Amino acid sequence: MDDDDYWNTSETKAKALSFDDDVLSPQEILAIGQKSYSGQIEESIFSNLNITSAKSAAVPLSSLVSSKVLELILLAQSGKCPSKETKQVLPSEETVAMTLKRLTLGRSCSLHIHRSLKSKTELLDGALAIGDGNAVLTVVLFLIQTLNKKLVYELLSSRPVALNHYISFLQNEGKITELTDLLTMLGRSPEGAMYQYQHTVKTQGNNIDALLRKLMNLMANHFDQPGVDQHQAKMLADYIKLLEWQKHVNKPELTYKSVLQWLAYNCANHWHEGAGNAMSPLTLCQRHQISPLQYDWVVLNVHAKSGKWDIVESLFTKKDWLGRTTVSSHIPIETLLARLSELQASKQILATYVNKVAGSDDRLRLAHMYKIHSVVIETLAKQKDRTALTNYKMTLSPQSEEYILAENTLRDSTIKWKN
Amino acid sequence: MENPPLSLKLSSLCLISQCKLDSILSLCGDKKDLIIDPSLIKPMERVCGVNWLRQHGIDKIYKMDPNLGNTANTNRVYFIPSCIHKYKCVLDQIASLINLNSSLAELNCFHIIIVPKVLTIYDSILESKGLYNIVKLHTFTWEFMMLDNQLLSLELPFLFKQLYVEQNHSLLSSISMSLWSLFHVTGKPKAVFSIGKLSASVLDMLEIYNETYARGFLEKESSKDIGALVIVDRNQDYASSLLTPATYSGLLSELFTVNCGNLDLNVKETKLKKGKLDFGFEDEGGPSKHAVIMLDSSIDNLYGEIKHRHFSEVLSVLSSKAKLLKNEDIKALGIQEIKHFVATKLQQITLFKQNLVNHVLACETIISEMSNKYENLKLAETEMLNNKNKKSNFQFVDENFGTDIHIYNSLRLMCLLSLTQSLTYDEYNTLVTKYLLAFGYKYLYVFNNLINAGLLVQPSSPKLSLNISNLGNLSDRLPKWQNEFQSNANKLKQLPSQADKDSKSSPSYVFNGSYIPLIAVLCQAMLTSETLAELIMKLSSLSELRVGGKILDKLKVGMETLNEKLSNLKLQNDLEFGCKDVKGLAKLLKSDPNIGNCFPLKPKSVLVYVIGGVNYAEIAACDVIQTITGSKIYVTSDCVHSGAEMIGSAT
Repeated sequence: MDDDDYWNTSETKAKALSFDDDVLSPQEILAIGQKSYSGQIEESIFSNLNITSAKSAAVPLSSLVSSKVLELILLAQSGKCPSKETKQVLPSEETVAMTLKRLTLGRSCSLHIHRSLKSKTELLDGALAIGDGNAVLTVVLFLIQTLNKKLVYELLSSRPVALNHYISFLQNEGKITELTDLLTMLGRSPEGAMYQYQHTVKTQGNNIDALLRKLMNLMANHFDQPGVDQHQAKMLADYIKLLEWQKHVNKPELTYKSVLQWLAYNCANHWHEGAGNAMSPLTLCQRHQISPLQYDWVVLNVHAKSGKWDIVESLFTKKDWLGRTTVSSHIPIETLLARLSELQASKQILATYVNKVAGSDDRLRLAHMYKIHSVVIETLAKQKDRTALTNYKMTLSPQSEEYILAENTLRDSTIKWKN
Repeated sequence: MENPPLSLKLSSLCLISQCKLDSILSLCGDKKDLIIDPSLIKPMERVCGVNWLRQHGIDKIYKMDPNLGNTANTNRVYFIPSCIHKYKCVLDQIASLINLNSSLAELNCFHIIIVPKVLTIYDSILESKGLYNIVKLHTFTWEFMMLDNQLLSLELPFLFKQLYVEQNHSLLSSISMSLWSLFHVTGKPKAVFSIGKLSASVLDMLEIYNETYARGFLEKESSKDIGALVIVDRNQDYASSLLTPATYSGLLSELFTVNCGNLDLNVKETKLKKGKLDFGFEDEGGPSKHAVIMLDSSIDNLYGEIKHRHFSEVLSVLSSKAKLLKNEDIKALGIQEIKHFVATKLQQITLFKQNLVNHVLACETIISEMSNKYENLKLAETEMLNNKNKKSNFQFVDENFGTDIHIYNSLRLMCLLSLTQSLTYDEYNTLVTKYLLAFGYKYLYVFNNLINAGLLVQPSSPKLSLNISNLGNLSDRLPKWQNEFQSNANKLKQLPSQADKDSKSSPSYVFNGSYIPLIAVLCQAMLTSETLAELIMKLSSLSELRVGGKILDKLKVGMETLNEKLSNLKLQNDLEFGCKDVKGLAKLLKSDPNIGNCFPLKPKSVLVYVIGGVNYAEIAACDVIQTITGSKIYVTSDCVHSGAEMIGSAT
């Protein structure tokens, strides 16, 4: 890029949206394009538009591959042996290498001829060396069928990739107890605890009692162990605390909701209940240590969305002892403004907040961004920048309120303009 | 012999897919119903389309649904991706059908087609459920699909999760098989490279296919269209997935769902909006219908012109196009001219207008949803990449988690910070707590999945690090990966200097001047090296670099078949069947700096395959390299995804 000015800086954006001669506005482009526009809409499962049939006419199959090659490609997909290889070696003479090759190619094969520990180990190491996960897992499961657990675990513990395949298999199969046993035996019980947790929450049904019971079991048997991360254990404890309370409150619309979703509910429906009351937003905040930033964010969104701007204003502005209003929120002012604008706060509310931005350059930038004309004009006047204000006036629509304000400000004889 | 241009051949690969599918369907009885998993519908439109299916014995088509009742025909062909849960769901449905009507078991009427591959455990599961011989399983490995010029995808979006999060490499061989059949069409590239463990395995298995079906390559000559192949593991360059793109196509995929090159222009409910915290106010308007943008330059020229552009330029391009349209005002034309216009240009112009409108709507949505935050976001990302102002970067991420938290994008920021500047135990937990309060404690496991995928580094608890504190001074105690990211990125010149940033020809523009994707660096190195030794020197900081192809052939002693390789295998060694570690080559390179005579590349073209998904910013970066080196770069992967989708795979 030419410079570090991004497309979204106020200048470029203003330019992109301006109606000058060079660049049409999106609305203008749409107006030109939309004359005969009707959206392309899908009807059936398959869209009617059959692109491939149009495209596939490009070249005939024969110029892609010869028929012999095509035969080979089909053969490879089918996993069948070429006909000339049908006269195979006797199964009893099959080597480890031959078995591995069959496995990798997706051909049918039986591992049961490999009975010695040596050839079993060679099978496993060969599959790992090739890197075909399908072969690795097939061999691991064969080892489990034919060796005792201790031997298998010994083989797996020094072969992490094979172990991962087995873990992934047990997880997918829902064999979580086996998985936990395996990891415990390998001295990796904290991981086992997390797999159990994942399985529990992913398979939770609609029975909150059952879920609670399972989580409490997990807590007692797996998370309350040395080696388990303290913070993870605390999160699980908090989860249990939340579910217990949701059960106690017994409101179906709140069950399984997150803490902040619950906070939003309480803010909307129990805003005036003071701390100590079960449904008070403040009680929830204390119990789950919601950070002030998150609290402010939820309050802002809930009240703004339901149009209670008075609450928003009273919450985020304070009168100091001189009677001046100051902004008081844990949300940084730029983020606050961005969100207020998204929530379609009135220009007047935005102006209140933009006005409180300390640096005049920042204030000007934000006022430009959110088109708070009064603040722009006021700030430019304070900066005694007549040229900038004159230019700004030109961008306003003539005879509008802000246009007149700009004009009056320019005429103000008390300002000592610097240019 | 006539030889059509490569682009035409690549766009016709579906013909081979059709043959493959036909060979399966012919085993499934005459008249049958197709029951298709919804995720496969879009790819199937590219493979064959509904008319083709009808011509091949498919009577009715249903979406797979666990509660699907009776269908028109007894013969059922299920069509699902290789996911164990979906497979089991189908088996349960078949079992309950047989329960109701036991005679079905005798009719040979159940078939399951699995994309891209039937795994051995699927057979065991079938057996354990008593359905062996009642249900037939079929592997369907469709060919690469050309989504756009020089962009090929296998459309297997679930691979990232399996390969990196679950670390289950069961489907890796299907990538080898797809490349193997692709090279039957394009010819085998002379120079072959891999970066990463999975890539090396793909090359090894590719060699197994080559060896097994050797008679297929009657021509031993190398490809006339593709000079080099490089396969890269996604985890070799996570930064490119985590960063926010600055190109038009990149931003499109941030906001809209793209399925198999079809963009769903849902301007009301973008991916950004959907991932935000729901305060219980969002009204659930039923599924509405939206326009679809085909992200394919051969269908939509306009898209081709703007897809790789920095977003700041897009609106002015669109506006100039609109002006041209305005000039096409037909009111000024006479009757004959109008007739001619209607016959020749009207349809084209109507389509163009449609595309124009769609792109403007998309642009407007991007501006309205991202413009407020974009600048600060890019600033924080750049600082992270350069390991600057850690404290304010953490504050930025912490504020994002505390306010405008997004279910995927916030994690994406956390991962980027963790990989580039690392997180302390307390910082890590502060973010985890905020995330769980917002979206629910149940997501605690998500962080472990991210750690498993290597996207996040878990800091050890301060209690543990206390034990080693007296072992040395502070710098020793800092974990080793602290600055690994920057030192690696600097060695490969991925972090541009100010001068590079300003240059028009730096591929770093795709991330607003802050970073060059690894695959662009690789392509550039390959296309500008005079010898193999030069290339290896340029890429010396890549510890996982391996070579294959003609270079490897030169290094082989004797035949070295798979059987020999396997029987000489030392415990837990790599196979080095299809590729070889470059570390052992130093001596040989001294006597012959250009082993295999592959460099300078001829033809001057590279095929890149990223295992685990590629993104539009990376594709745009390769386009820059292609222009400045006067070459062709084909970008291929198992899917094109955005960073948010990659993170989403871990949840």
